Amino acid sequence: MTPMDRRTFLRRAGIVAAGSAAVGLGAGAAIPGLLHRFHRPWDDDAFAPPGRPKVLVARAASYDVDLESIVEVGLAEVGGSLAGRSVLLKPNLVEYDPGTVINTDPRLVAATVLAVRRLGASAVLVAEGPGHRRDTPFVVSASGLGERLAEVGARFVDLNLAPVTRVPLHSRFTDLGELWLPAPVVEADVVISMPKMKTHHWAGATLSMKNCFGCMPGRIYGWPKNVLHWAGLQEAIIDVASAVRPELQIVDGIVGMEGNGPIDGTPVQAGVLVFGTDPVATDSTAALVMGLDPAGIWHVSEAGRFLGQADPEQIVQVGEDPERSMTSFDVLPVFQDLTLGSNASDAAHAGLGDANA
Amino acid sequence: MSSLFERSAETLDRSRSGDAFGPTPGAEPEPEPTALAAIALDDDDARRWLAGAQRPDGSFGLTAGPVENDAPTGLAALALPPGDERERALDHLVATPARTLPSDPVVPHDPNVPGWGWALGTAGWVEPTARALLTFRRLRPGATTQIDGAVGFLADRECVGGGWNFGNRSVYYVDLPPFGQTTAAGLIGLHGLVSGYGLVLRGVDALRRLWPLERGPLTLAMSLAAFRLLDLADAEDLEHALEPTLDAPPMDVISLAWIALASGPGLSELAVTG
Repeated sequence: MTPMDRRTFLRRAGIVAAGSAAVGLGAGAAIPGLLHRFHRPWDDDAFAPPGRPKVLVARAASYDVDLESIVEVGLAEVGGSLAGRSVLLKPNLVEYDPGTVINTDPRLVAATVLAVRRLGASAVLVAEGPGHRRDTPFVVSASGLGERLAEVGARFVDLNLAPVTRVPLHSRFTDLGELWLPAPVVEADVVISMPKMKTHHWAGATLSMKNCFGCMPGRIYGWPKNVLHWAGLQEAIIDVASAVRPELQIVDGIVGMEGNGPIDGTPVQAGVLVFGTDPVATDSTAALVMGLDPAGIWHVSEAGRFLGQADPEQIVQVGEDPERSMTSFDVLPVFQDLTLGSNASDAAHAGLGDANA
Repeated sequence: MSSLFERSAETLDRSRSGDAFGPTPGAEPEPEPTALAAIALDDDDARRWLAGAQRPDGSFGLTAGPVENDAPTGLAALALPPGDERERALDHLVATPARTLPSDPVVPHDPNVPGWGWALGTAGWVEPTARALLTFRRLRPGATTQIDGAVGFLADRECVGGGWNFGNRSVYYVDLPPFGQTTAAGLIGLHGLVSGYGLVLRGVDALRRLWPLERGPLTLAMSLAAFRLLDLADAEDLEHALEPTLDAPPMDVISLAWIALASGPGLSELAVTG
């Protein structure tokens, strides 16, 4: 099957018949092996086999280094193709707190604007629908993003207020059936998901797939986007990511957040950026860099069955060795089993444990 | 009449889409911006559009597949004239409190006070609950169960030291701070209510601290509305702070409508005593 570009996919999605009945599962629900194998809540023909995606881990000691060049090289090395295409950068800007590092750093966002222009993008805009605050201009201004975007002449779009388009889902981990996505997200040739590298108190980690929640308009899904939580948080992460389909990912791990993320954790200097073309492979690699077992992060593991590549043997690392770039992120006790080196994590690696438990 | 009102009302009027208003200038009309603009501009065309947008269950909002956002229902009721449409909107609010989960030490909350949510079948949050409170107090003051429940919800979700964020007092044993915009929303719902006196006092204190740091147009406009409804002198400082926002690039219609509402005669449509 020839993979479609994402804009064609999203447009055609409107005329493709819905598949089998919706099935909702509790987050982390343990499905006995055989049943799990046959439980495939997605349309096979809507998702190309993941193949062997490239992921690049790059060192970046601070936000004051030449980020534009690092991003340009990183995107090119993983095979990002931007020439003549419109690009939407989706940073994490869920809310603003001056005392911590919740958001993707504005310096990285601005550097990425310049880098994608160098790579020939026909247009670039930055867009986000903050999840906790309705006053988006305040968040954009206070975070420093507004000033940085003005310096590079880039436009910001509030996805909480943009016109929306119905997009039927081709995965059915939730029973939502369809999502209403902002037109700028649907119409962009390329969406680049730019999460902050953070632990997450409900999902283990929040990376490029979870970052897609910011594409969901608050005026439909609420502040916070509570509809998605009631649908099953980890299940919704998969369905939203499978609808948004970020073609490229840049994970901001120069300074990440550990502990009680995604809002109240502690800054941690990890000194890396992670680039990729497959959100599952990118998130798997970023989890490794955080010292977490990607197989134990339910939404990453499940998405690895159809949306992207989660098998580390099939992910081609073209940058730094993720394990050598590791900074062990502290997690809440409930996620202690995710920490590489823990007994449960070792058992899962040996094929002895149930990663979905 | 303030120049802030005249300028914002003129800009708001130019941002309409036919008879009604979308979330951004010229966008497809939606209930929330139309309801706010109808009140701010005393606009009968907007009211007519709104009446035509009422759903069979009496609610107003956006439908996205199985998701029914009904959060604008209270605002629409406030915008509509007395009559069947308004009563059906109020009946909908009475019938659809939020869903609750059992109390949990990780996200402490009182499951006996569900509040109102952004979408049907989801949890309660501060802004939609404060809207429902204001709507009942103005239009159906006999709904004491709902009014007491909304006040109870706001008391339960109050941040340590006063004020509100979107609606979680603490998560994983960390107290979360209040935000300016949601604190203003809570105060708009509670103003003049004797049983909410302590919440209002602490909320005002929090908002006085927050708005100078959170100078977004929606935060400032809703803070102005709160301070004017509470008849506090801070309103003058807020009017000065809001003036330059009208010179900035095109503003979203919801913020613009709140500026016109907070600075003009329409605010009397939100006022409640006792």
